[in-house]
Amino acid sequence: MSNSASARFPNLSRRDWLRLTACGTLGISQSGWLAALADETAKSPNRKRSCILLWMTGGPSQTDTFDLKPGHANGGEVKPIDTSVPGIQISEHLPLLAQQMEHFAIVRSMSTKEGDHARATYLMRTGYLPQGPVQFPTIGSVWSKEIGKAESELPNFVSVAPFRFLSPGAFGPGFLGPRYAPLVVGDGQPGGNTDYEKSLQVKNLAAAKVVAASETDARLDLLSGLESDFLKRNPGVTASSHRAAYLAAVRMMRSDAVKAFELTDEADALRDAYGRNQFGQGCLLARRLVERGVPFVEVSLNGVPGGAGGLGWDTHQGNFEGVKSLCGVLDPAWSTLLKDLKERGLLDSTLVIWMGEFGRTPNINAMKGRDHFPNAWSTVLCGGGIRGGQVVGKTSDDGMKVDDRPVATSDLLATACLALGIDPMKQNMSNVGRPVRVADPEASPIHNVLA
Amino acid sequence: MRILSLGRLTLCLLAVGAGLSTAVVFADERDANDPVAVLATLIDQRIDERIAAEKGVAAPPADDGEFLRRVYLDIAGKTPTVADLRDFLADESPDKRRKVVEELLDGPSYITNFAHFWRSVMIPEADSNPEVRFLLPAFEAWLRQRIKDNVPYDKLVREILEMTVDPRQAANPFEPQSGVNALSFYQAKQLKPENLAASTARMFLGIRIECAQCHDHPFDEWKQEQFWGYAAFFAGLNREQGGVQGLVNSILETLGPTQLEIPGKNKKVTPTYFDGTAAQLGFRDSPRRILADWMVGPDNPYFTRTLANRLWGHFFGLGIVHPIDDFTLENPPSHSELLDDLAKGFASQGHDVKFLIRAITSTKAYQRSSRQTDPSQENGRLFSKMALKGLTPEQIFDSIAQATGFFEQFANRNPMMMDGNSPRAEFLQTFENSRDSVTETQTTILQALSMMNGKFVEDATSLDNSATLSAVIEFPLMTNADRIETLYLAALGRPPSVDELRRMEDYVKTGGPTGDWKRALGDIFWALLNSSEFLFNR
Repeated sequence: MSNSASARFPNLSRRDWLRLTACGTLGISQSGWLAALADETAKSPNRKRSCILLWMTGGPSQTDTFDLKPGHANGGEVKPIDTSVPGIQISEHLPLLAQQMEHFAIVRSMSTKEGDHARATYLMRTGYLPQGPVQFPTIGSVWSKEIGKAESELPNFVSVAPFRFLSPGAFGPGFLGPRYAPLVVGDGQPGGNTDYEKSLQVKNLAAAKVVAASETDARLDLLSGLESDFLKRNPGVTASSHRAAYLAAVRMMRSDAVKAFELTDEADALRDAYGRNQFGQGCLLARRLVERGVPFVEVSLNGVPGGAGGLGWDTHQGNFEGVKSLCGVLDPAWSTLLKDLKERGLLDSTLVIWMGEFGRTPNINAMKGRDHFPNAWSTVLCGGGIRGGQVVGKTSDDGMKVDDRPVATSDLLATACLALGIDPMKQNMSNVGRPVRVADPEASPIHNVLA
Repeated sequence: MRILSLGRLTLCLLAVGAGLSTAVVFADERDANDPVAVLATLIDQRIDERIAAEKGVAAPPADDGEFLRRVYLDIAGKTPTVADLRDFLADESPDKRRKVVEELLDGPSYITNFAHFWRSVMIPEADSNPEVRFLLPAFEAWLRQRIKDNVPYDKLVREILEMTVDPRQAANPFEPQSGVNALSFYQAKQLKPENLAASTARMFLGIRIECAQCHDHPFDEWKQEQFWGYAAFFAGLNREQGGVQGLVNSILETLGPTQLEIPGKNKKVTPTYFDGTAAQLGFRDSPRRILADWMVGPDNPYFTRTLANRLWGHFFGLGIVHPIDDFTLENPPSHSELLDDLAKGFASQGHDVKFLIRAITSTKAYQRSSRQTDPSQENGRLFSKMALKGLTPEQIFDSIAQATGFFEQFANRNPMMMDGNSPRAEFLQTFENSRDSVTETQTTILQALSMMNGKFVEDATSLDNSATLSAVIEFPLMTNADRIETLYLAALGRPPSVDELRRMEDYVKTGGPTGDWKRALGDIFWALLNSSEFLFNR
């Protein structure tokens, strides 16, 4: 029995426990470790790509960010500015990003199917419309399963400040199971979170102060004995997943890599440049995680502390003040992230995606707001695997429809897969016994933007 | 012929059961007159026949400790106390397992546990939508009262489907919504016909038809028109123009024949049963009442089967049809005759949920050990051993509280109080898993961290804060072996094995790394509470 159990779960031997619980045997010296790692990471030809998703909760207005309509009433009050790439203009509220346009592929012709927050969020974050019992996993779970390592010190998928309430299924591992669930940090409530120093920490990472390290080892050793006996009596996924989670948790507790969450290690000037708010510091955290090999990190922008109420970019009223204050957080954070990645040799291997669940109506409503609009809107791809300095697609002069190269959700996600070196046609078995591909097989990727 | 798909499915369910010949053998004459024993014997016969046909081997019976912990978790939603356990182990009467089921069904925890169970089935939105959570106190109050009175299941469902929501139709217009009622159900579904259709079809008929809302069902024969025809039974519901959302008196209902337009299709449909028959509605008829007549009536083959399957799934971790709410041609039952027997037995006993619980829990199948003794038991759908079932977040919290003697402020349990920092709220948030399949529960890293290092478990295993631990340590007449046994009983519901006892005694004797025997006992308790054996219903 014990042989068959350990044969089936070869990664979960008692030796692993002992190795983890024996204090100090991990043997990574701290001095110079970070610099060496960054250097090695950047140079290694074997490095798998990473992905950072900047998730814009609520659906950002394309007309006031990346697809301006000067000269038309729909354009509103926001002015376009020139960028580092001749001929491409973006919003005056994104001056820092404008200087880095050579990294950007702006997709101005998103044309998607859902105008409801919950369903659209599900669509954009899983690639599929909700279909009854099938629990589609979010792209972070699917992609990190493909490009992550099975036994890394840090989880393969970290989600910073997700706002999950409207569409919880769109933020989880679905049929892939908790093994592919994100490690969640940060406070996902819209608006006023100011205690980012605390919320960006992993909860319960350290044992209580009164418990000595040697005692934790002893406890884990006792537990290991109990678990081995139990697994012999009850072989199966359920019990082994419990054990795997504890192994991963202990691995993380004991690893140096977990220092990624200690943002105070960074220079004040750099922290200032990212912006002293949860999204800005979340982007800094994303860089620190990617640097340590985490393949997928998402950072949600759900609102501005002290800003108007409402859900992130859902600017049904007061659109122009709303967009301006959100851009005030987005612009420094995103542009510093790109610069920082580049300086550390990570930009070529890190795909950065900017998107929300839909765009907003080009026409302005009576409350000076813009409403939900999935027909013609914008997303951005930049960094690793992407040929920057270009615009994909075109909308009409009034912004109401796509004139050239409509891009469906699946087209965008399949393109991102290719940029990351993931086979979009690969299948995973779903909870209803039907295989589901990484991206919808109907997708037609935007080959022009691939480097 | 597509509209006959329900009929075909019915046939496929019924046909297999038709030719059965049953020779039930009872150990005792009296059992033949005991409907619980009759059904239990029949269940075991069905299950055993299949195990034999598949050349499988059944696991041995669960011992008393294993059985007691299981039946407590399944019926009362929490683990037994050490005192409960000692009493049960000491009881020598042959029918003590049936007796304890009876006691649990009469107790208050059955009411709260099953109110929670039904609420999760009926308003699952509350788990993810904080606005809906505000509706729970009223809904659970209604459920608790009905469960306390053991209202037959068909009456319960009727009450939901038929309830008067329009104050103008109330018997007493000045107090339209007196007493507890199921109105929250309608509010949670936002009064929308499509939401009410999808959820009632899923809950009461085991049909996941919501995909047909937007298009013809890709993997089954449900047509979009069938969905909206069924939804039309709820088309009379409306909010008063300008009414404040959520206010009771703003709900209006139009009686008589209703119509509903299929969105984007420019086509109107009238209330139609799934088999394609149009409902006959008089001018003053409530379409929902007409639907209720059909729903709980003898012509609807789904109603009792869905209930039987749901309860079976609760006790065995896997449904006979699994997933529980997914009765389709492509997802056949593992034991179709058995499902039939359960449904018939349930109907013949006046739709009494407690009857079915008594029958299921007294079977040999339910009382088998979860210990795997033969590779054939890996096929969970044979029910040849008990499945490991993941605990719900509430059960984990309550079980730790039970095991450690944690005293919880009542306010922490009030769903209106959303204090995200109470130990309970923080715990439930971390442990919220998809609840679709309890036999596939997996542990996340944050859950492991919370159990290992979180304040709640830390307090539970610290000498200063744990009632159980300090009692064990301070009780003067106990040996270390007694102390260890008590911790095992409190956490795992069983005494330690000889081997385990020796290991743990050695640990306490040396005092662990701190050299302190009291702390060493805390370490053991910590390990027990973090073990799979504690975190699963087995």
